This record gives sequence, structure tokens and C-alpha cells, in this order.
Amino acid sequence: MSISKEDILEKLNPADSFTLAMDEEIRKDGLAGNFGCFALRLSKAPDIAMLEQRINEFCQRFPVALSSLQQIGKRHYWCKRDNPPPVFFLHHCPENKLEADFQQQTIDTIINHKQAREFAAPIEFHLLTGVTQHIFFIRWMHVFGDARSADLILKYLCTTDEVQRQQFGLPVTPPLVDVQLGKYRWWQKINLLWKGKRYIDQLDSLESIQPFHSGLAPQRMNYSIQKLSVAQTNQVLKLAKEQVGLTGTSLYYIGCLMRALEIMHPNSDGAAYCVPYAFNLRKQRAMAPMTGNHICALFAQAPRAVVQDRKALFAHLKQQNANVIRQQMDYAFLPLMWAGSWLSLAEYGKTLRLSYGSGKERSSFWFSDVGRMDVPSDSFPGATITDLFYACQVTTPPGLAFLSCIYQNQLTLSYNFAEPTSNVEQMAQLHQVVLAQLLGEPE
Amino acid sequence: MKKKLRDFIFQELIFVAEPGQFSDDDDLLEAGLDSMGIMRLIMFIENEYGVTLPDTEIEPSNVQSLNALEQWILRHKKG
Repeated sequence: MSISKEDILEKLNPADSFTLAMDEEIRKDGLAGNFGCFALRLSKAPDIAMLEQRINEFCQRFPVALSSLQQIGKRHYWCKRDNPPPVFFLHHCPENKLEADFQQQTIDTIINHKQAREFAAPIEFHLLTGVTQHIFFIRWMHVFGDARSADLILKYLCTTDEVQRQQFGLPVTPPLVDVQLGKYRWWQKINLLWKGKRYIDQLDSLESIQPFHSGLAPQRMNYSIQKLSVAQTNQVLKLAKEQVGLTGTSLYYIGCLMRALEIMHPNSDGAAYCVPYAFNLRKQRAMAPMTGNHICALFAQAPRAVVQDRKALFAHLKQQNANVIRQQMDYAFLPLMWAGSWLSLAEYGKTLRLSYGSGKERSSFWFSDVGRMDVPSDSFPGATITDLFYACQVTTPPGLAFLSCIYQNQLTLSYNFAEPTSNVEQMAQLHQVVLAQLLGEPE
Repeated sequence: MKKKLRDFIFQELIFVAEPGQFSDDDDLLEAGLDSMGIMRLIMFIENEYGVTLPDTEIEPSNVQSLNALEQWILRHKKG
């Protein structure tokens, strides 16, 4: 496929390039790439014709959904294709198969499907049907969009009114990373860049703990989904507010996982847990931008001794977060992402992952919290959404991505891990300890 | 003060289709003001009005509406 500049639909913004570097790193591990997934359990088989019509309409309005990610010179671009890829797939459970097994195997195949980056569709929609169980599954390349993009796309598909659907993606704005960077004069950008560099150097002064460091090469991604009851969710949110305050629900989840890992792997090497997490630059409830990554990154870091003391840990994470925002470190990653986007993928990936000095992995685990998902349960074409979860790929190490979302007042935790580095049994054990931490149960 | 708060909140933090229809008593948390947004809002207030809002007072009752925010700031301005 020969590509010329006339074929370019969009260039990547600095946050897209950041996720592309991670895609390269995951592919280097031999896995499918940096993909995110949303799965919706449905009450019955949906209205397939209507669903397909909305998907087609979405792809027409946002043609980057049918494009190909191509490298031109040193940079990557979304480019037009001669033949658009299929994006909607139907999978029906054969009569001789158990539906639960069929669904698990099908999702496993979709998540682990390896394809050259330029051939992969930016986003795919899969409908898994059976006699009693039905799942709508969205898999997207992270370079194409962040979790808020996927949430918006899901809402687009679930919006009945055509006029309301037209409002998605409006107003059209440049990438929000560029908008935010544009607020700074050049010397302020340089100042921020150095601030960001010092921030990372400070993090790197403590070697990160790698709980799942086994030395085994990853072969496939797997996930474990754990849904809490409404009562448990309320208890978790109450404790989060009490212990980390109104500003720290995500920090509460991160802290609980740090403590669970420390309880389960007290002898793992390293001095501190270090966890990157993204925050979204979109305004809350905004319907635009639909695609692309509009994020910046922060880190939660806690030395081992602090993690061992529950009260001290949450006070530490809360204070750290407040300090970072007070010192404007939250935006300091923006010029770093901009500068990184000019590096080769290999160099950028190394810079993002490895600590200066020790050369070891910086992240103890990946974390993402999409908060409350508010797509109405009765809005899906021809069916009711009964449940929802979120999954993603991750590099190894750290080999674990911990994701959370709340749907219909129930917290759902998603443990995404690389096999054989870790396994389903380990994740089940880990969840029991995480749950006890979240619920504040005495150890 | 409320005009500045309103402009910052609706230009930077929350999308509402018609900001003019959002009253000073309407619920900002219901409208989507999240934890990161609250922190940014506090930083904006501290820089803009030269007050320090203690972390221990970051409670729904103080950030729930534009009126509540104004009262919270005024308590610290006076002090």
C-alpha cells in the first residue's frame, strides 16, 4: 500500500503518539498491541439492523474510524484506505457449545488477535449472540481514542434521536493537548518541560516494585472481571471519601491495590510502588472530541514502608496529588509528550517505561478509572444493557493493568494480566485481598 | 466573584449545553464536577483570590454550587 500526503486524514497528537509508543512496546512483547475494550452484556439479542446502521453512520461521520495508521517519514498519520476494513462482526454460539465458553473464547480471540498495525481497523464492533447470553464488544486501538472516546462512541450508538446524534463531536476543536500547550509561551513550555523532567527524576530515585516479575515471556492477555454489589460499592465510596477525601476516589483504588500487592508479595524487589494514571483534558459531560487521546499523565508513588500503614498511605497519596496539582506538575507531562513524539518509537517507549539510572521498569501496574458510566441501560438498540466492563492490554513488566468503572451503582474491577507471567488463580486471590482493602476489613 | 467562578467552571471543567440556564444553586457535582476538577477549581480559587482553602474542608457542602463556593471563599477571605 503506497501512501502519499494526499491520503492523510489526521496527524497524531502528542497523546496519541504516547499511546502509539506503548503499542510498539506491547507488540515487542509478542502481544496484539495497545487495545482497549468495552463489553456490554445485553438482556436479549439486539436490533442488529439498527445497530449496524448506527455503526455505519458513525464511521461515515468520523472517517478516521475506517482509516489506516501509516508511517510517513518519522511520523505516523491516519490515512485513507482504498478498501475500508470491516468493522462490525457477528459471532453466533454454535448449538453444541456452552454459551459462556463460547463467549469467553471469542473475546479471548478478539483481544489477542495479532495484526500488523497498518492493517488493523482503528475500532471494531463485535456482537456475540446465543440463546440466552449476548455481548456487544468494542475493541479500539488506543491510538484512535482514549476510554472517554469509547464512552462517547457507545453513547452515540445508544442515542435514538438523529438530531441528538448530530451533536456528537461538536464543537470541532483541535486536540486538547495542543490547546493546553498553546496556552503557554515558549519559555513557559521549556520551564514546564524541565519541571516534568525533575518530577520523573524524583520518581526514579526509588526503584519501582514489580510484583509480577517472573521473567517468563508473555504469551497472551487475559482478564478477570469482578463486580461488587451496590452495598459494597456504597461502602467503598464512603471509605474513599473518608480516607482520601472528595478529591481522591481513584487514589483510594490505587492505594488498596498497592496494599494488596504488598500483602501478597512482601518480598518482591524494589523500594516503592509507582503507578501512572491519566487524567482527561475533556470537560466533564462534553460530547467532543470524539476520537483521539486527550489526556495527560500523573504518577502515584508510595514507598514500601508507607504502603504498609493504611492510614499513612492514604494521607500520603492525597497530599502527593494535591502537591502535584499545586505545583502544576499535572501539565508538566504535556511538553514531555510533545518532545517524545519526535523520537523513534523504540526510543520513546524506552524513555516512557524505564527509570533513568537503574534502567528498570518504572510502573508497578497500570491504572485507569472511567468513573460512573452513565449510558442509560434501556438505550441500546433493541436490548437492555445489564452489565458493562472495561479491559485493556498492558506491557510486561508490569504485566498488570487495573481498571475500574461504576455502572448502575456497582463498581466493576478489571484485572488485565499477561499469561503465563500471572494467571487466573493469582488474580482471584489478589481480588480477595483488594476487596478486603476496599471494604476496610481488618487484616 | 461568581461570574469568574462560573466562567472558569464552564470553560475549563464541565460542559453544559446552556451555561446561562445553570443557576447559582444548581448542583455542580451532579453536573459532572469530578475529583480532578475540584482540585483544579481549588487551585484557581487560591491563585485568583489569595486564599488558602484547607484540604479538610473539601466537602460536598462547600463545592456543591456556585453559591456554596462563594460562601466558602468569603469565610476564608474574612479570616
